[in-house]
Parts: sequence; C-alpha cells; structure tokens
Amino acid sequence: MKQKTDVLQGTLALMVLKTLDVLGPQHGYGIARRIEQISGDLLAVNQGTLYPVLLKLEQEGAIASEWGASENNRKARFYRLTREGRKQLQAETKDWEQTAAIIARFFDAKAEDLP
Amino acid sequence: MRFPRRFLTRLANSAARRTQEERLREEIEGHIALQTAENLRAGLSPIEARRQAMLKFGGVEAMKQDYRAERGLLFIENLLGDLGNAGRTIRRMPGVAAVIIVSLAIGIGVNTTIFSWIQMVLFEPMPAVRGAANFLMVEPRAENGGYTGASWLEYRDLQSQVSALRDIVASQMVAFNVGETGRTERTHGQLVSGNYFSALGLKPAIGRFIQPEEAERPGTEPVVVISYDYWQTRFRGAPGAVGQKLRVNERELIVVGVAPKDFQGTMVPLKFELWAPATMAPALLGGTRDLEDRSTRAFSLIGMLRPGATREEAQAEFSTAMAQLARDYPEASAGIGGEILSFWDAPRGPQRFLISGLAILQGVMLLLLLAVCGNTANLMLARGSTRQREMAVRVALGAGRWRIVSLVLSENMLLAFLGAGLGAAIAVWGTTALRVAPMIGAFPILFPTKVDEFTLAFAMLLGAACGLIFSAAPAVHLARLDPQDGLRSSSNTPPRSRARKVLMGVEVGLAMVVLIAAALFLESFRSARQTDPRFRPEGVLLAAYDLSGRNPDEASEREFAARLLERLRSLPDVEAAAIATNVPVDLHGIPRRSFTVQGRVRTEAGQDRAISNTVTPGYFKVMGIPLLEGNDFAEMRDKTAPAQAIVNEEFVRHYLNGEDAIGRRIQRRPGSFAIIGVARNSVYDAVGELAQPAMYFSYRDLPEEQGEIHLRTRSGNETALTSEARAVLRDLDPMLPLYDVRTFSQHIERNLYLRRIPARMFAVLGPLLLGLAAIGIYAVVSYAVARRTKEIGVRLTFGATSGRIVLQIIRESLGAITLGSAIGWVLALVISVRAIPKGPIHLPIFLGVPAILLGVATLACWIPAQRASRVDPMAALRHE
Repeated sequence: MKQKTDVLQGTLALMVLKTLDVLGPQHGYGIARRIEQISGDLLAVNQGTLYPVLLKLEQEGAIASEWGASENNRKARFYRLTREGRKQLQAETKDWEQTAAIIARFFDAKAEDLP
Repeated sequence: MRFPRRFLTRLANSAARRTQEERLREEIEGHIALQTAENLRAGLSPIEARRQAMLKFGGVEAMKQDYRAERGLLFIENLLGDLGNAGRTIRRMPGVAAVIIVSLAIGIGVNTTIFSWIQMVLFEPMPAVRGAANFLMVEPRAENGGYTGASWLEYRDLQSQVSALRDIVASQMVAFNVGETGRTERTHGQLVSGNYFSALGLKPAIGRFIQPEEAERPGTEPVVVISYDYWQTRFRGAPGAVGQKLRVNERELIVVGVAPKDFQGTMVPLKFELWAPATMAPALLGGTRDLEDRSTRAFSLIGMLRPGATREEAQAEFSTAMAQLARDYPEASAGIGGEILSFWDAPRGPQRFLISGLAILQGVMLLLLLAVCGNTANLMLARGSTRQREMAVRVALGAGRWRIVSLVLSENMLLAFLGAGLGAAIAVWGTTALRVAPMIGAFPILFPTKVDEFTLAFAMLLGAACGLIFSAAPAVHLARLDPQDGLRSSSNTPPRSRARKVLMGVEVGLAMVVLIAAALFLESFRSARQTDPRFRPEGVLLAAYDLSGRNPDEASEREFAARLLERLRSLPDVEAAAIATNVPVDLHGIPRRSFTVQGRVRTEAGQDRAISNTVTPGYFKVMGIPLLEGNDFAEMRDKTAPAQAIVNEEFVRHYLNGEDAIGRRIQRRPGSFAIIGVARNSVYDAVGELAQPAMYFSYRDLPEEQGEIHLRTRSGNETALTSEARAVLRDLDPMLPLYDVRTFSQHIERNLYLRRIPARMFAVLGPLLLGLAAIGIYAVVSYAVARRTKEIGVRLTFGATSGRIVLQIIRESLGAITLGSAIGWVLALVISVRAIPKGPIHLPIFLGVPAILLGVATLACWIPAQRASRVDPMAALRHE
C-alpha cells in the first residue's frame, strides 16, 4: 500500500514539475486539471493527493509559492518552478528517459538476441 | 544534501503549525471553489456541482494527515505532545511523583558523588595537570616488598638509563618553617627536580618556574615557586609577589613564580604550598647528605611513557638499571629492584585504600539504585492498572503500540530525568561537603573532587538507565493490552509476580542489616565517650616541635628536650611537663615494636610485638597514669644510669606470666633496656579497647628529632598555656615553630570525628534504607490491591468487614517481609559477632530495630490496604 503511493508520488512530483515548466506559475487546481487533461482517464487520482506533493517539492526548494488571485478572483496560492526545480526536472527527465529506454529494450529483447 | 534543508524547514513548520493549517484550509477551499465553478459551467446543479468537486478532491482528513506528516516532524511533535501529557499526568499524582523523584535523586546523587571520586583517582589524579592519569610511578622496591623511594643520585642514573620514560620527575615532601625570626609557620612543600614543572606541562600563573639548571648543582639558586592559594592568602594575589624574599628554614629564597590555580603537587591529596629546587636540600635541611648519599631514599619518582614506548619496555629498562645499581653500589642498593605502577595503584597516598573501597561502595550504591528502580516500577505498575481504561481507549481510537509505549516511556523518563537533575544537585553538594573534610593530623589534605560535565553525564546516564528499567514492565504490559478486554472489564491484570515479593523481602532485609549496624556504631561511639580512658586527658595541652630541618645529632636532640622541659616546668601555671614521641588515641595509632624479654620463651614462630612509646621523665605524672611498681625514668641529663624501660600491667601478665618484672631486660634495636617500673594499663589506640601490652622507653636513651609536648596546667585552663609555650620555644630557638597545638580533649575528639564518619554514614544510610523499604512495601501492596479491586468489592458485598480485608492484605504481605527481616537479622548478628568477637550482644538493639522495622513495614502495608478496603463495593463492581 505504502509502496504504491511512493511510486505514485514520485511520478506525480515529476508531472507537477513538468506542468509548471510548460505552463508557468499555476495554482493547485490548475496543476490538477492539467495532469488530468494530459493523462486522461488513465490516472484516476484524488486531486487532494496533490497537496502533500506540492508541499514536499516546496520544502525541497524545487518550487516556490505565493498568494495571488485566481481567474474567478478568489484567493489562490500560485506555484512556480525555481531554478533548482528546473535543474531537478532536467535531471529527472534524463533519468526517466534512461529508465524508460532500458525497460523498453528489455521488453523488445527476444530470446535469439541473447548471445 | 537535501535532507538538512527539509529537516530545518520541517522543524520550523512544527513550530508554526497553526498558520500552516490555515494556509492548507484556504488552499483546499479555493481548489474546491474552482472545481465547483467548473462543474457549474458544465451544467450541474449547485449542490451537485459542489458534491462532485468534493468527491473529486477525495478524503480531506486523510489528505490533511498526509500533509501534516509531510509538513512537520511527526516524531518530535508526538514527543512534545507526550511530554506535555506526561507533565500533566505527573502533576495529577504529586505525592507518588515526589516520592519517586526524591528516592531516585538520592540514589543517583550518592552514586554520582562516588563516581566523582573514582573519576578523580582514575582520570584526574593531579588537579591542573593535563593527562595526569598517564603518569606512572617509578618505584624502587626492596626484597621484603616495601617501596623504599629513590635517592637523588639514583634518580640521576635512572633518568639517563630508562629511555622509555621521558622526563622522570623527582620530588621530596618536606615541612618548612616559613617566616621571620620568632614568627615562623609550618608550611609543607616539595623539593623538586629541575624538570618538575615542564614535565607536568604546567604554565605559571605569574612569573616563571624553576629552571633545569637551577637544580643542577647543590646550592645554586635560592628560588622558590609558591602555590596559587599561598599567593592569594599571603600576598593577596599581588603581582609584586614575584621577586620578593621568603624566609624558609632560615634561608632567604626568592619567589620566582606562582603555580597555576588548583595545582597542589604530585602527592594528591596532600596539598603543598612551596616548591624549591632539590639541590637546595643541604641549605634548607641543615646540611643533609640527601644529594650525595645513595642510601637516603627520600625522593619519589614519576614519569610518562615516551611516545611509542610501552610500559613493558619501561619496566624492563627500569629493572635492568636497578640490577646494575645493585651491583655498582651493593651497600646502598643491594636487593632493591623496581616496579612501574599506575598512578591509581600508588603504594602511598589515599589511592591505595580509596580505590577498592570506592569500587565496593559504588557497587552497593548501584544495587541500592536498582532497588529504587524496582520500587518505582511497582508504583508505576500500580498506577498503570488504574489507567488500563485510558490506554484501552487510546488503542481503540487507533493509537499504535509504539505510541502507547512512547507515552508510558515519556512519563517515566520525565520522572527519571527530574530525579537525575535533583541527584546531580545532591552530588554537587556532596562533593563540596566532602572536599572540606577536616585537616587530619598535621598534614594539609585537600581532595580535589569536583562535578564536571563527565560527572553530570554520568548522572543523566543513570537517570536514563533507571527510566528504561522501570518503564519496561508497565510499558510492555500496557502495550500488550487488548483494547476490547481493557474496555470491557478490569480482569486483564498482569500476572502475580514472585519477583515483586522477593524485592520487598530483600529491601527489608538490607534495611535490617544496615539499621542494626548503624545502631551498633552509634552505641559504640556513645559508650566510647563515656568510657574511662584510664589516663587523665582533661587539663593537658599538646603541641609538637620538629628539629628535622637542622639535622641534629642525638646529643643536641637530648639537650634540646632537656632544656625545653626545664623552661616549661619553670612556668608558674605548669604543674607537670613531658615530651613523648606518640600520643595515645591517635588516628595513625601507636607503633608496635618487636622485642625479646628476658624470661620469656616463645613457643610459636615469629616475634613478640608491643606498643612502644618514647617519653621523658614526668610523662606518667602528666598523663595521670600511676606507676604500680618501681620508679620513673632517670633525669634527662643523668649520664650514669643504664638504658631503662617501663612496661604496663598487661605486658607483665601476657609476657611474664605476672611474675616480677623489675630488673629484667628487654632487647630491641638499638640495644638492651632494664625494666625499672610497671605502669597501670591505659588506653592506647581507642577508648574502650581491650588491654594491650605496652613498653615505654626514655628520651634520655633514645632521643628523637620530633616531639609532642605534654603540659598539665595548674589552673584548669590548658589553652591559656599556648602563648607561654610558644614564647619558651621562641626563646630556645627563634626559627622553630610550635605546631599542631591542641588540648588533649580536642585530640581525642579529632580522632573520634573520624570514627564518627562510618557511624554517620550508617546513620544516614539506615533511615534511607528504611524509607526505601517502606516505599517498596507500599508500592508492592498498592499494586497487589489495585489488581484486586473487584475481588475486594465482591467480598465487601458479601458482607466482609473492611477490617478483615485490611488484615488479610497485611497478612499476605507480611510473609515476605518477615522472611526478609529474619535473614537480615541473622546476617547482622553474624557480622556483629565476627566484628567484635568477645563483645556482648547488644539486646536492646537486636530487639528494638526489628520492632521498629516491622512497625514501619506494617504501616506501609496498612495505608494502601486501608484505602482499598474503603472502596465503594458498587463502584468496584460497576465495570462488570
């Protein structure tokens, strides 16, 4: 149970960083919507789980936040990527791509390919 | 990398908890509002729109939990919460908490005090000297096992031959007469080698130390280093002290520097005030041959291993060097080997008797502390069973096992650390109280014990250990609790335990032994005061003089004593005057000498030994000891009479079968002495002792450098003689101080004071153990009663009277108590018979102490039993 959330949280963090990288400063709801739109029905998470992830990222210094006004003029907290967050995103993207490539190769490999 | 930052942020968040909660709440609200607006745009009804938004967001509370766990440090927050809770719990049971804290504090305080002594002896044997524990004693040792000390020339040889030790340091203890003519004062100092201060790694408080070249050739530089205290008291800490002249043993020495604060020399706990180069010995000690004579072994040596060298190497080199010296100088060094010893293993000084005694004491006190822990565990268990419901509710509401354990642990730890804190305070007080122990005899003594961070750490460690020990049982018990059972009834109580009763019995037995010992000590102390010493101490003034500074020969010693006596006897207030080498009832005891006496044939191997004192004529008159036969010694200046001896009654009875003693000869070194008189028995070592054989010799035949002047006053006020006696001595020799002036009664009191120390220790320990046993019994019985509240309720319902119930509870507990005290009583009896083989058994003590102890024990049972018997039967049964 716990392990599953951990994995999810890890990927969720990466999604949040990427979202902020692409869209610029966003409030929590905006981030949630974006993730939802992109992943479609494949990722059915409670939107609430986003907030602990945001807090963790903020404490790590990858993102920063401040109060602002949302489109319907409500008070909302806006998150933006910091320089450190950008670096983290780059590093993690690379990691992720590497991992994905390795996994992909494993899946492609056939018995006759082996020496 | 990232960890410290997150940690700090989280720590800060823990503090700013409220604002953070607020922020989260607002964010969630905003989020849901946005989603609701979105849903409204999609055409849902307002209520449905908000419902969908909430659904999509998911469980707010669960998320908040995650958020909080992410935000702060749950561990620390829980701990703070637990501590707060613990504080409240403790405040709700002030009585029990006070008992626990105080008993822990005493246990920890006593242990810490003893530890500070052990620490001193083992790790910091010389105050102000860094790494003093690394110094080794370099001890020449005679074949018979005696440590002889080293001669100066031997020291110089060893210094070059034992290369495994760097900087061997030599020092000799001397008594100096310091001050101007007619106003001298006895001060203790050390004659030291030139490397003394540099090898100890000391820095002068002001000025400089003795230079190596100043201790090269005899009589080179008349310099002296003074102690910090001496500087403060005699020179008021003035920087101008350096360069001043100090008159020491009639020589002017120039003060060149002041030793650092707290430094008291290399023979702790002796406290020295002056240090002069060893090469000043001939000038200061009246032409002594210390520096040339290999058979005068006056110096003690210490040294530190050279880096990389081992103790075995040092020992081997030392042995080789001593063997070589024995070949080169057979008349002075034959049969003398050598031994390298650790500082704490020193053959002289207090370490010898301190370290083993301290270790035992520490062991006993740790056991005592363990008993305190046992008591506390029982008290906590007794309370624990009443809190079963509280814990069950906590478990039912989702508290984990660890949370329960940590809750119990934090309560106990808080108690333990409060106890340890108070204990540390007791230790600080205790060490200071022990530091200012009275000056014993003529030597200045200062025990440099102190409470430092190590000692405090020790106290806290003890506290933590105690906390863990007495938390274990209640924590395990409560954590195992099944919430359903716990809520349903009070039946799930921990099993009856034999260990608790054993603990109770042991405590009572221990208290019995110590209380009887305390009572016996006090009793013997009281009777010692009332018993007749068989001489007349009242009206006698004692004072000492010492000619050793001027290396006198026998003739001048005899002449000095004779002139001194003449002058003293001419004083109008003096009824009688005498000089003796030893004073009875002295701390150090009176020496025993081996001898043979005409007409006595020894059957078994070995030598006869008897108490020996050398006295001037008139001694028996001053002391009020009648001569039963024969006469007093011949006058001091009588050159015709043969060497004489006087013996006491017991000597005649024991060695001569009560036959006529007069005229027989006693052989002892250095010659043969004719018995000319028999004195009545008197007390020699301690008041109340059995009669001991004793011999007296005459100052005329065996003059000595040192003497104790005995003056009997005519007026009844012996202290009034002090100034007159001083004046007489000043007249005879203006540079000689009179020291250790005291009345005979004071002398006896001083001795009794030290006898009082064990008596006092037992007198304190006895009630302490009694209290401890009482608490122990109280705890065990409370616990037993708490387990049985329901049973008691049932009995009361069925008509048992509360009196019957109290009686039954007491009867159940009294079994273990009686057994424990019986064992303790027998043990005490055996010890007392062993200690005083012929002494009578003191019945009032052996009956009274058990009566008191059992009375207290019964009371300790009665209080909780009485409380239990007053439960409302309905209330007790209601949980069912």
